[in-house]
Amino acid sequence: MSVASHGSTRRSRRWLPYVVLGGLLILIVLRMSYLMGLEGRFNGAFFVRALIDSVKLGSLYALIALGYTMVYGIIRLINFAHGEVFMVGAFATYFLFTVTPYGWVSALLFAAVLAFGVNRLVALFRTSPRDPVTLGATGVSFVALFFLLQAGTWPFWAALIGSMLATGVLGVTIERVAYQPLRTAPRNSLLITAIAVSFLLQNLGLLTLTNRQTPFRPETGLLNAVQLPIGEQVVQTNALFVGIPLLTLVLVLVLHNFVTRSRLGRAMRAAAQDAETAQMMGVSVNKVIATTFFIGSILAAAGGAMWGLNFGSLNQPAILGILPGIKAFAAAVIGGIGSLPGAVIGAVVIGFSESFLTALFPRTADFQGITEFKDTFAFVLLIIVLLIKPSGIVGEDLSEKV
Amino acid sequence: MKKTRGSTPTALDAVDPKRRLRNVALTLGALALGALALYLLEGIGSSKLTQALALCAIWGIATVSLNQINGTLGILSLGHHGFMLIGGYTTGLLTLSEASRRNIVNSARSTMTEDTLALSMTNLFNSLGLTGLTTPETEWVRFVVAVLFGGILAAVVGLIVGFPSLRLRGDYLAIVTFGFGEIIRLSASTRIFSPLTNGALGFSGLNSDFGKSVWWTFGFLAITVFVISKIKYSSYGRAMQAIREDEVAAEAMGVNLAYHKVLGFVISAFFAGIAGGLWVSWLAGVRLEYFLFSLTFFFLVAISAGGTGSITGVLLGTALVVFVRQYGDPLEETYSLQTWLYIASAVLGIAAVAAAAFRTFRRLRPRWNPSVWVPAALAVVGVVMASLDPAFLDGTFRGFGMRAIFLSVLLIVIMIFRPEGIVGRAEFSWGRLFGDDRSQPTDEERRQDAWLSNPELNKSAAVDDASRRLPEGGA
Amino acid sequence: MALLEVKGISKSFGGLMATRDVSFEVNQGEIVSIIGPNGAGKSTLFNLITGVYRPDAGQITFEGASVVGLKPNQIVDRGIARTFQNLRLFTNLTVLENVLVSQHHKQRTTLLSSILRLPGYRKQEREAREIAAEKLAFFGPRLLSFRLNQPVLVLSYANRRRTEMARAMATGAKLLLLDEPSAGMNPKETAEITQIIRRMRDEGGYTIVLVEHKMNLVGEISDRVIVLDYGVKIAEGNYRDVVNDPKVIEAYLGKRDEDGSSAAGRADGAAL
Repeated sequence: MSVASHGSTRRSRRWLPYVVLGGLLILIVLRMSYLMGLEGRFNGAFFVRALIDSVKLGSLYALIALGYTMVYGIIRLINFAHGEVFMVGAFATYFLFTVTPYGWVSALLFAAVLAFGVNRLVALFRTSPRDPVTLGATGVSFVALFFLLQAGTWPFWAALIGSMLATGVLGVTIERVAYQPLRTAPRNSLLITAIAVSFLLQNLGLLTLTNRQTPFRPETGLLNAVQLPIGEQVVQTNALFVGIPLLTLVLVLVLHNFVTRSRLGRAMRAAAQDAETAQMMGVSVNKVIATTFFIGSILAAAGGAMWGLNFGSLNQPAILGILPGIKAFAAAVIGGIGSLPGAVIGAVVIGFSESFLTALFPRTADFQGITEFKDTFAFVLLIIVLLIKPSGIVGEDLSEKV
Repeated sequence: MKKTRGSTPTALDAVDPKRRLRNVALTLGALALGALALYLLEGIGSSKLTQALALCAIWGIATVSLNQINGTLGILSLGHHGFMLIGGYTTGLLTLSEASRRNIVNSARSTMTEDTLALSMTNLFNSLGLTGLTTPETEWVRFVVAVLFGGILAAVVGLIVGFPSLRLRGDYLAIVTFGFGEIIRLSASTRIFSPLTNGALGFSGLNSDFGKSVWWTFGFLAITVFVISKIKYSSYGRAMQAIREDEVAAEAMGVNLAYHKVLGFVISAFFAGIAGGLWVSWLAGVRLEYFLFSLTFFFLVAISAGGTGSITGVLLGTALVVFVRQYGDPLEETYSLQTWLYIASAVLGIAAVAAAAFRTFRRLRPRWNPSVWVPAALAVVGVVMASLDPAFLDGTFRGFGMRAIFLSVLLIVIMIFRPEGIVGRAEFSWGRLFGDDRSQPTDEERRQDAWLSNPELNKSAAVDDASRRLPEGGA
Repeated sequence: MALLEVKGISKSFGGLMATRDVSFEVNQGEIVSIIGPNGAGKSTLFNLITGVYRPDAGQITFEGASVVGLKPNQIVDRGIARTFQNLRLFTNLTVLENVLVSQHHKQRTTLLSSILRLPGYRKQEREAREIAAEKLAFFGPRLLSFRLNQPVLVLSYANRRRTEMARAMATGAKLLLLDEPSAGMNPKETAEITQIIRRMRDEGGYTIVLVEHKMNLVGEISDRVIVLDYGVKIAEGNYRDVVNDPKVIEAYLGKRDEDGSSAAGRADGAAL
């Protein structure tokens, strides 16, 4: 499509999204009342449960989508491997609360990895990975972790944090080894490499972790049963319905704060706008990109751990990351790739459409339901959005200039 | 490119007829030799070798057709497994044996209906009145037509998948093609299509031995290579390559982007469908698991390792991938942890040596940068630990998925160090072998080059006497 | 009837008006130059004529028929071709292939006949190569010897410019829009390209519109000169008149102050 008309068409159609949204809401309400009118289990509690699922799912997708959108904003790469990073995060959490205490060899290796993660984390707030505070923190955490990993079973919250650090390290390593050498290469090469990394991680997971479905049931207060009275009905759920959105909110707020207020965050935003000029203004693009991957991977790991809690088990490594990865990517695109609020908005959209839509067209006596189309739906939505409005809900148009 | 350099500056004959005759004769001769080799290998070699050969041919068709989009058009397409799926299921359904059809009808869990099960080549020919083609002797006709049908149906879908390429570029287009591939795969098991596909169960008992035959598969491969290479070196192929080089300029030179992009997809999908039909015939059954994205991934490795944009390169890459797949079993055995550590250290050692060689070759300094000493150090540590044989190395470990890991690492390494593949863009041709096509100037021409361009020395280069005038006014 | 008629075209990008109500005509066989300071909208004008952008307002007719809204490749079919300011060759293709690609749109044989290499296709290829040779010959024998089969990326800058011009000629267009054809050429090469452009009109029968910055080239061959500034046409006429037009001088050099001095003059004075 040539760089044709802008301004005028957009202005005249600003009311369109609101009309569409309003229309959809009306349809949803109508459908809900129809279903509730039917005899059976489609009562208020049913829909509240669907709502809870949507919110949880949306939050989980948001955590993953943020990684996609940040990386794309800076180096214009669709990080195919991000779904696998999410998978590693989930499994890392599992191995930290299940297999601990470790033997001294594993403890050594893992402590090294986690200490490296601490190094990168502290370096986010200091000027260099080598300054005394950072090095001190690294050293201390290495020693401490070496003993802690052998001490006993780790509680879930510790496993979560450890997994976040370890996965962050993974993200940085992937970038350094596979993507950085291709910084100047044509985009197709980079995308192919990302696919290769994704495939590699899937098979490494199969090789080193497990090839079976794994139960994920740590001891944590988040899994405590909770009862929500809705009118006369009661919805049985667990504390995750607050825990997941809350964790997501906290992480997103911290991220937002970091990106808007801190020096490195400002550098990230500058590099996302114009990497070359940012470099000329003294921004270390390598450091910024590494940070982007680090943060994105941390969030994905949190998403992975929560995913495990939510579903109670993890699919095998070659499968776990694929669909959530694609759906999170779709979310990032729908919201507007490159935009952080866009990723969250898109994730909410996808989460809602996945859960609530299944609730709106449930299995009844004469209708088989639409669950088997759930995954196809994500792909279809992605393609439609890419064809109709690639810039997404929030986004800017990143097209080529002649 | 079978072109000769003209002896006079303006002679531009495509190929001198004598040379063309020579080329054709050589090609026929090579084909004959290849056929002989195939015959011998089939007779002598193990069934594993035969399988490897057939797989080379079938996957070769898929990669050569994928190269039509990725290499010639320059569009990264990730949905090839979807086209193969369509071709595979079509051919499978059409060539399903009578006995198998009856089994499926009687099976309780099957989702196929009487109507869909009636779709067979035999019935089709009968209904067209071509009863002569329903005999056992003419089974090969039914096979070929079924495969072609698969290709045509895949081509129709390729038409649909081609349209997004008009609006999207690069990464987004790649994702969309990936999406289409997955949509095809996922919806094949849903209730919309399960009457045709038997859902997650798939079906088996295909009627033909042709799939298992290297002759048929290589025959199809030869046709595919012929058609694709003829297209590549035709005006259409040039237009597609122009789109790859610079889309905006191509459009400004009259190339209809939409037509050529969609054409590329249709051609590619057609042959992918054929490959799918052959693949299914070789496996004598159809299941959804045969058409996962990993298939496209293997093709990507083949194309990138062999040489994007070169048919020869792509076929070499395919041979490599098939070799790893067929003969990589030793990698996936169970060995003791100690052995694994030795293997890992060996690999790291080789990597360190390769990195050092690479840096020396390319004259990169410093020579001992992390890419060299990190793997080297790890290798040394590994060997030391392994030879000490400590307690924690007791136990065994199965190399599950090692082949895939090897191929992924290979792809990453290639993308970093030699993205154009082993062969790059170079294409095998008789002309090149015999030194016909000399696009480098000879010494004589070098000496003449100054003469060629300098109007003072070469009257015919002087465009006009006026060119010898100094420019007027300010420069 | 003029070959190309541009009437009142305007184009804005966001808030920036790149072209404002520009009108002019080009007659068959003319060489018209468009000059103006950088950013005046000259390349935008070319993009508008060749269909890369769609004008917000106005009409563009070629041989009496409107070309507004057509895609660039359709406009090439109609008979307008262009070169690019920053060179857009097909870098990995050879010189010959570059000049053959631009002839593809004229070809009438089907895909099937090209696969089977039927005689009709072979004949078409031969003719295409002859046309390619003919167009490349405008530049002397330098592109016709061993360079013919070399990928464009090994050519010198001047040779690349020549290849791009030959490629545009090979489209079979009647009207050529040349965007800074002599950019990056030294005076000798510039003099040569000036003569070649004139020969393109005289021998090749092309009508040519040039965007140029080198005034000696412009003065040498233009029948008419059009001056743009900030997207508006500020002068039109033959070279001598345009060059002495006070509005044009002001656009390039800035305004003279009331006391008759110019900013340039005052700066000199200050330096003393």
